[in-house]
Amino acid sequence: MIIETIVFYVLAVVTVAAGVMVIASRNPVQSVLFLILAFFNASGLFVLLGAEFLAMILIIVYVGAVAVLFLFVVMMLDINFSELRAGFLQYLPIGAIVGIILLAELILVFATGAVDIHVPEVVAVAMPAPDEVSNTRALGNILYTRYAYLFQGAGFILLVAMIGAIVLTHRQRVDVRRQKIADQVARDPKAAITLKDVKPGEEGSWKSD
Amino acid sequence: MIEFSAPDYLTALPEMFLATVSLVLLMVGVFVGNRSTKLLTWLSVVAMGAAFIMVLVGSHAPSTTFFGMFVSDSFSIFMKCLVLIGAAVTLIMGMGYVKRESMNRFEFPVLILIATLGMLLMISANDLIALYVGLELQSLSLYIVAAFRRESIRSSEAGLKYFVLGALSSGMLLYGCSMIYGFTGFTGFHEIAAVIGHGGGDAHGVAPIGILIGLVFIAAALAFKVSAVPFHMWTPDVYEGAPTPVTAFFAAAPKIAAMALFLRVLLGPFHELVEQWQQIIIFISIASMVLGAFAAIGQRNIKRLIAYSSIGHIGYAMVGLSAGTPDGVRGVLVYLAIYMVMSLGTFACILAMRRRGQMVERIEDLAGLSKTNPMIALALAVFMFSMAGIPPMAGFFGKLYVFLAAIEEGLYALAVIGVLTSAVGAFYYIRIVKVMYFDKPTEGFDKPMGAEISSVLAVTGFVTLFFFVYPTPVIEGAQAAAALLFP
Amino acid sequence: MAESNFWVDYILPLLLIVGYIAAIILPLLLIVALVTYGERKIWAAMQYRKGPNVVGPFGLFQPLADGLKMMLKETIIPAGANRVLFILAPMILFTLGLIGWAVIPFNSVMVLADINVGILYLFAVSSLGVYGIIIAGWASNSKYGFLGAMRSAAQMVSYEVSIGFVLVTVLLAAGSLNLRDIVEAQKGLWFFIPLAPMFVIYFISALAETNRTPFDLPEAEGELVGGYQVEYSSMTWVLFMLGEYANIVLLSGLCVVLFLGGWLPPFHVEPFTWIPDVVWFLAKTAFVIFVFTWVKATLPRYRYDQLMRLGWKVFLPASLAWVVITAGAMHLFGWMPQ
Repeated sequence: MIIETIVFYVLAVVTVAAGVMVIASRNPVQSVLFLILAFFNASGLFVLLGAEFLAMILIIVYVGAVAVLFLFVVMMLDINFSELRAGFLQYLPIGAIVGIILLAELILVFATGAVDIHVPEVVAVAMPAPDEVSNTRALGNILYTRYAYLFQGAGFILLVAMIGAIVLTHRQRVDVRRQKIADQVARDPKAAITLKDVKPGEEGSWKSD
Repeated sequence: MIEFSAPDYLTALPEMFLATVSLVLLMVGVFVGNRSTKLLTWLSVVAMGAAFIMVLVGSHAPSTTFFGMFVSDSFSIFMKCLVLIGAAVTLIMGMGYVKRESMNRFEFPVLILIATLGMLLMISANDLIALYVGLELQSLSLYIVAAFRRESIRSSEAGLKYFVLGALSSGMLLYGCSMIYGFTGFTGFHEIAAVIGHGGGDAHGVAPIGILIGLVFIAAALAFKVSAVPFHMWTPDVYEGAPTPVTAFFAAAPKIAAMALFLRVLLGPFHELVEQWQQIIIFISIASMVLGAFAAIGQRNIKRLIAYSSIGHIGYAMVGLSAGTPDGVRGVLVYLAIYMVMSLGTFACILAMRRRGQMVERIEDLAGLSKTNPMIALALAVFMFSMAGIPPMAGFFGKLYVFLAAIEEGLYALAVIGVLTSAVGAFYYIRIVKVMYFDKPTEGFDKPMGAEISSVLAVTGFVTLFFFVYPTPVIEGAQAAAALLFP
Repeated sequence: MAESNFWVDYILPLLLIVGYIAAIILPLLLIVALVTYGERKIWAAMQYRKGPNVVGPFGLFQPLADGLKMMLKETIIPAGANRVLFILAPMILFTLGLIGWAVIPFNSVMVLADINVGILYLFAVSSLGVYGIIIAGWASNSKYGFLGAMRSAAQMVSYEVSIGFVLVTVLLAAGSLNLRDIVEAQKGLWFFIPLAPMFVIYFISALAETNRTPFDLPEAEGELVGGYQVEYSSMTWVLFMLGEYANIVLLSGLCVVLFLGGWLPPFHVEPFTWIPDVVWFLAKTAFVIFVFTWVKATLPRYRYDQLMRLGWKVFLPASLAWVVITAGAMHLFGWMPQ
C-alpha cells in the first residue's frame, strides 16, 4: 500500500510539474516534450487505478499519434515565440481576471458545502466488479451497447473533421506527373520492346551516328 | 455481461436514413469527382424530403430510444420539419452560386446534409452527451462550409472566427454539462429533472449552486449558438464573410435547431429552476433586441445588416421563452417558423444581387430596384415589411404571439421594450424599401436570376404575405409541440 | 515483524524482477550482436563475398571488435545542438527496443509481465519509437538530420495505422489482448494461414516501422548521408544501432507471437515435441530476422511518394476491409472465441 501511495504521489507531482512546464518553457518543442511527459504520468495514474486499457490507449493515441503531429508542426513552424510572449503579457491581466473569477466560483461551490448532494447510486451499477471481467471487455460491453448511439455520433464527428481537413487544404496539382501503377503493370512488353537481330559488323539501327 | 436488447431503431428512422444517405453520397462524390456536385445536391434535397416525410408520418406520441438518449415527440417533429425545409431550400437556391463561384465541390451538399443530421440529433437529444454530440456534429460541419471558399480571405476568416469562438462555446457547454453531471449524477434529461425536482435542493428548496453554475454555462453556450447578445460577436463577421448560400443556411436551419435545444434544455431538465433561468433569458432577450435594432442602423452591407437583424429576431423569440408558459413557447415556435420563411426569402433576393457576373452586397446596389427588377423589389419589400412586423405580414403575427404571452405573464417592461425596438428596427428595414423604390436607379441585376431562386422567392413571398389567411397548420403544430414541453 | 514483511513483500520481488530483466536483456544484447554479424554474413553470401572473417573464428568476434572501436571514439556534440535532447534521443530508442520484451512470452510460463493488454503495450512501445528519431533529428541542428527525422516521423505514423488494424484482426481471431492467450489460440492453426493478407501487411509495415530497406528513406545514405544519425558518433551512435536492431528483433518476435504460433511446434507429433518450446520460439524469430536481412539484400529503396501511397492507399483500405471481413465472417459462422 505504501508503495502505491508513493508511486501515486510521484506520478501526480510529475504530471503537474510537467503541465506547468508545458506553459512555462521557452522553447515550444520542449513544451511538447513536457506535454508527452505529462501524458506518460497520467497513463501511469490510470495503471494505478487498474484501468490498463485506458492507460495504453492514452499512450497510443495521444503520445503515439497526436503529440507526434504536434511536434512535427511545432518543429517546422517558423514563429518567433518570444514575440508572441510579449503579446501574452499584454493580455495577462484579463486572463488573470477570468482565471480568478473561475477559481472563486469553484471555491464558492466547494466552500458552501454544496458538493455533498447525494450522488445517486445508479451511477455505479453499470460497472461490473473489476475482477469479474477485464476492463477492456467491460468498456467494450458498455461502449457498443448502451452508448452505441453516442459512439457512432462521435465517429460521424471525426468523419466530418476529416472531410473538412481535406476540403480546406487539399489542392489538386495539375503540373505534376503522377505514377500510374496500374498502367505500368498493364504495359505489354511486346508494345514497348522491339528485338532486332543485328549481325556483327552491320550498321546497327540503334546507332545514331 | 450487461443485458442488451436492440434499441427501437424506428424512432430514429429519419436520422439513420440521413446518416446512411450522407455516407453513400460521400462515396459517390469521392469516386465520381466534382462533376457529381449537381447530382449530389439534388439527391441531398430528395433525401431531406424523404426524411421530412418520415418525420411527419412517424409516431407523434413521445417515445425514446437508444437507452433514453434520443427522444421523438411532437416538439421534435415540428422543429425537425422546419430544419429540413430550411436546409433543403437553401441547398436548392444556392445551387447557382455554388456553380458560379468556384465552390463546385461535391463535399458541399454532403456537409450540408451532415450538418442537417447534426441538427436533427440536437433536436432529439434527451441526454447531455447526446446533446453535445449533435451540437458538435452540426457545428463542425458549419465551420467547414463557412470557410468553403478557401481562396477568399474573407471566407477563411469567417470560418476561422466561427471555429475559434465556437470551440470556446463548446468548452463552456462541456464545463456546464460536467457541473450538472457532477451535482446530479446523471446525464439523461429525465433523470436530471427528477433529481432537481425532488430534493435536489437543500432544505429551503433551493437548487445547489453547482447546478446553477452548470445551467449558466450551458445557457451561455446555447446563447452563443443562437447568436444572442452578449454572445453574438461572431455573427456579423461570419455572415458577411461566409459564402452567401452558407449564410442563408446559417440564418435558417442552425438557429432553429439551437433554439429547439434551448427550449428543450431549459424546459426539460431545468423546468423546476424556471425562476433562475428566467432572469438570464429576459436579460438576453432585451440585450439582443436592443443591439439588433441599433447596431443594424449603420450597416452598409446587406449580409451584415441581416446578421444584426437575426440577432434582434432571436431577442424577440426569447421574449416568448422568458414567459415560460405554453403560450410563450408556442409563440417562440411560430416566430421561428415565420422567421425562417422570411430569411429564406431575403437570402433568395441577396443571391439574385448579381451584376455582370459579380455578386454585390451593398445596400446602395439596391437603388432603384423597383424600376430595373420590379419583382425582386416587390418580394424584398414584402420581406422587409414582414421583418419590421407590419401587419398583415407574417412577421407581425410572430411578434404578436410572443408579446401577448409576455404580457399574460406580467412581463410588461419586456413587451414594451420589444415594441420600442421593433419601431427602431422598422427604420432600417423600411430604409431598404426606400432605397429600392425612391432612389435613382443604377444598373439592374443580371437576368435571368435562375429558376430555383425565383421559385423560392415566389413561394416564400406568398407565404409571408398570405400567412394570415390560413395560419392553422403552423399554429396547431406549434401548440401541440409547446404543450408537450409542459407535462 | 513489520520489517521482515517489508523485506519479503517488496525487496525480494524487486530482486527477482531485476534478475528476470537481466536474464532477458543480456541474451538479447548478445543476440543483437549476433544479428549484426549474421546480417553481414548473409549479405556477403548473397553477393558472392566473404563478409567478416578476420576477427576470431569465421569472424565471429567482429561485433565485439566493432563495439570496442566505437567505444574508443570521441563523442561529438555539434555546436548548435540541444545537448540534453541530443543525448536523450538514442537512449529513448535503445530503451524502447528493450522494454517491449517485457510482455513477449518465450513459452507458456516464461514471460516477465503477463498483463492482459500485452498487445496494446507493444503497440504503444512501437509507436513511441518515432520520438527517438524525431528528437535526434531536431536536436542535432542539422539539415540532413532534420529531413531524415521528418521523413521518418511521417513514415512511422503512416504505417502505425495499418499495424494497428492488423493487431485488431489478430485479437479478434484470438479473443484476447494477452499475448500468451493469443499464442494459445493458435494451437490448431497458426494465424498466418487464415489471416494471410494481414501477415503480409504486418511484415511489410514492420519493415517500414524499423526503417529498413526498402523503406530506409530516413537514413538514405545516398541523399541524406545517414539522415537523423548524421551527427552522431561513438556511443550515441552505438545506442542507435543497438536500439534499431533490438527493435527488429522485437518486431520479429512479435510477428512470431501473432502469426507463427509463438513457442508452439508446427505439429504436435513426436519428433517436433522433443524440442523445447523456447527453442521453437527462438528459431522462428531467427527465421523472421533472416527474412528481414534477405529483403535488405534484395530490394532497392522506395521513392517517398510510393512509400506514402503504399501505406495510405493500399495497406490502410486493405487492412480496414480485412478487419470488417474477419469480424463479419466470425459473426456469421459463429467462430467468435469465447
